Amino acid sequence: MKTLNDYSHIFKRYDLDGEKAGAAKAVSTDPALQKIAAFVVAGDADAIKAPVAEILKTKPPLDVINNALVAGMNEVSRLWDEGVYFLPQVILASDAMNVGIAECERAMGKSMERKAKVVTHTAEGDIHDIGQVIVNALLNANGFEVINLGADVPVDKVVSSVKQNKPIMVTGTALMTTTMTAFPKIAHELELAGIKIPFVCGGGAVSEEYVTGYELGVYGKEAAQAPGMAEDALHGESWESMRAKWNG
Amino acid sequence: MTSKERVMAVINHQKPDRMPCFGANSTVTYEQMEKVQAFWPEGHEKAEPMAKQALAAYTMLGFDGVRAPFCQTFEAEALGCKVKSGGTEGIPGIAHPPIYTLDDTPVFPNDFLSRGRIPELLKAIAILKKEVGNDAVIVGGIIGPFTIAGSLIETFMLLRATFKAVDKIRPFLEVGQKAGAALANAMIDAGADIISVEDMTASPDLIAPKTYRDLEVEYQARVFETIKVPKILHICGNVDNIVEYMGQTGAEILSLEPKADPEVARRKCGPMMILMGGVDTATTLFMKDAETVKAGAEESIDLGIQILAPGCAVAPGSPLENLLAMVEVAKRH
Repeated sequence: MKTLNDYSHIFKRYDLDGEKAGAAKAVSTDPALQKIAAFVVAGDADAIKAPVAEILKTKPPLDVINNALVAGMNEVSRLWDEGVYFLPQVILASDAMNVGIAECERAMGKSMERKAKVVTHTAEGDIHDIGQVIVNALLNANGFEVINLGADVPVDKVVSSVKQNKPIMVTGTALMTTTMTAFPKIAHELELAGIKIPFVCGGGAVSEEYVTGYELGVYGKEAAQAPGMAEDALHGESWESMRAKWNG
Repeated sequence: MTSKERVMAVINHQKPDRMPCFGANSTVTYEQMEKVQAFWPEGHEKAEPMAKQALAAYTMLGFDGVRAPFCQTFEAEALGCKVKSGGTEGIPGIAHPPIYTLDDTPVFPNDFLSRGRIPELLKAIAILKKEVGNDAVIVGGIIGPFTIAGSLIETFMLLRATFKAVDKIRPFLEVGQKAGAALANAMIDAGADIISVEDMTASPDLIAPKTYRDLEVEYQARVFETIKVPKILHICGNVDNIVEYMGQTGAEILSLEPKADPEVARRKCGPMMILMGGVDTATTLFMKDAETVKAGAEESIDLGIQILAPGCAVAPGSPLENLLAMVEVAKRH
């Protein structure tokens, strides 16, 4: 007898429209901070610079970063999770946040202090660095310094960047089935170099079974898990314990 | 029935002797390359090895169709993009930086069909026609306008523009449309029976469904208008929220990944739309065993898949027995 393991087809609603309606929530009760956050949520990198410069006359840069720019990006992440926002909106919001942060850093006269570095990349041959954009934006918003190697990155480049930057974690995204075989190679090279940091891999082309099939591999199901994983790595958790915690 | 009669029966809404099985995307694997003694990167570059690798789907796997090419760069290269080799294991990609910015006006070259590797692709199709004649279907692959536009200006810039400067995208979509249509018709002249359009960048994983509906559908439809043979439209990922509009492009066949729900596609596109797919290329075909492939395929068939196929491009490291298992399932139906 055929048994049913997957209930998604049963519980899926068939009356959903292509796009969900949903509104951004306010992230600050302070109207001035909320105004800045709104530029991030709207993804308006062109218009955000002047109002940020303006608000910095009355508020400390870290307040603006944490309670307007990053708070706005977290709201974008929520809208993404709920299926209200799509990838282009996340990219634009991330652009706007970065313009705002650069303006605040200029006012501080130094770069914002970061918790630790994370190296991110999309597999060689892969032109889609989709999940990675969100991972970058969320890590950035949560205070990590993202060493973004971008899309279509060769194995050697990932390994040499890790050696050079000494991150607490490295991530890889693969969306095309033809490209995912780069991950075990990277894991192997890191191991040979004696580097035992978690290598979080995700994207449509890989599965938990695949990623947990090589040393260092921790499967990232959703981009939204990235900040939590980076916090774990920051607090010294090993890749083995992270795998046990995050993977089945 | 011959393989071709079987496929055409389904397309003509007649009853085939059994369910057909072939790929809308590349089905080449390392094991097949070894067997036919034709390898990458030559299979992406030269007619003979390309034809040999495509042919293996029919001669070695028992699929009902053969398909070329195996990457997504032929149109982009002929439009001026620089291609970087994927070496012996991978597929070619587009080199950075992109050749255009959003403010440029892209050009469609008059000698498009004689540029880059297109002449070799057309020769490969002609070789396939000579080899399989009317026994199996020859599937010519082209790339959708949105994905070509992404190659021309870089996918990220394209995605930003979908919200910031939609009108600036249109000239790039137009060039992509002309490129796909020209290549499709040249392949038909060379012997292709079916045209398969891959438009990965139009996936809801990348763009908003309304961008697909309000922008890309029109350009895909313009490509299809020029093509007089049956057409497959393939968009990666879970396309449930755009499948209705995919059904309005003029494609007779939709190629779905198992992440998409065939029942939604059936409900949104009506009884005449032909659905192909059924096997997940990453989690099942590449990773699991023949039994899992068969179970997944059976489930997809229950949900309405009419042509059994890998849901996307086959990972070249996929085991032969898993591909053979697909044909076994098709023979049961």
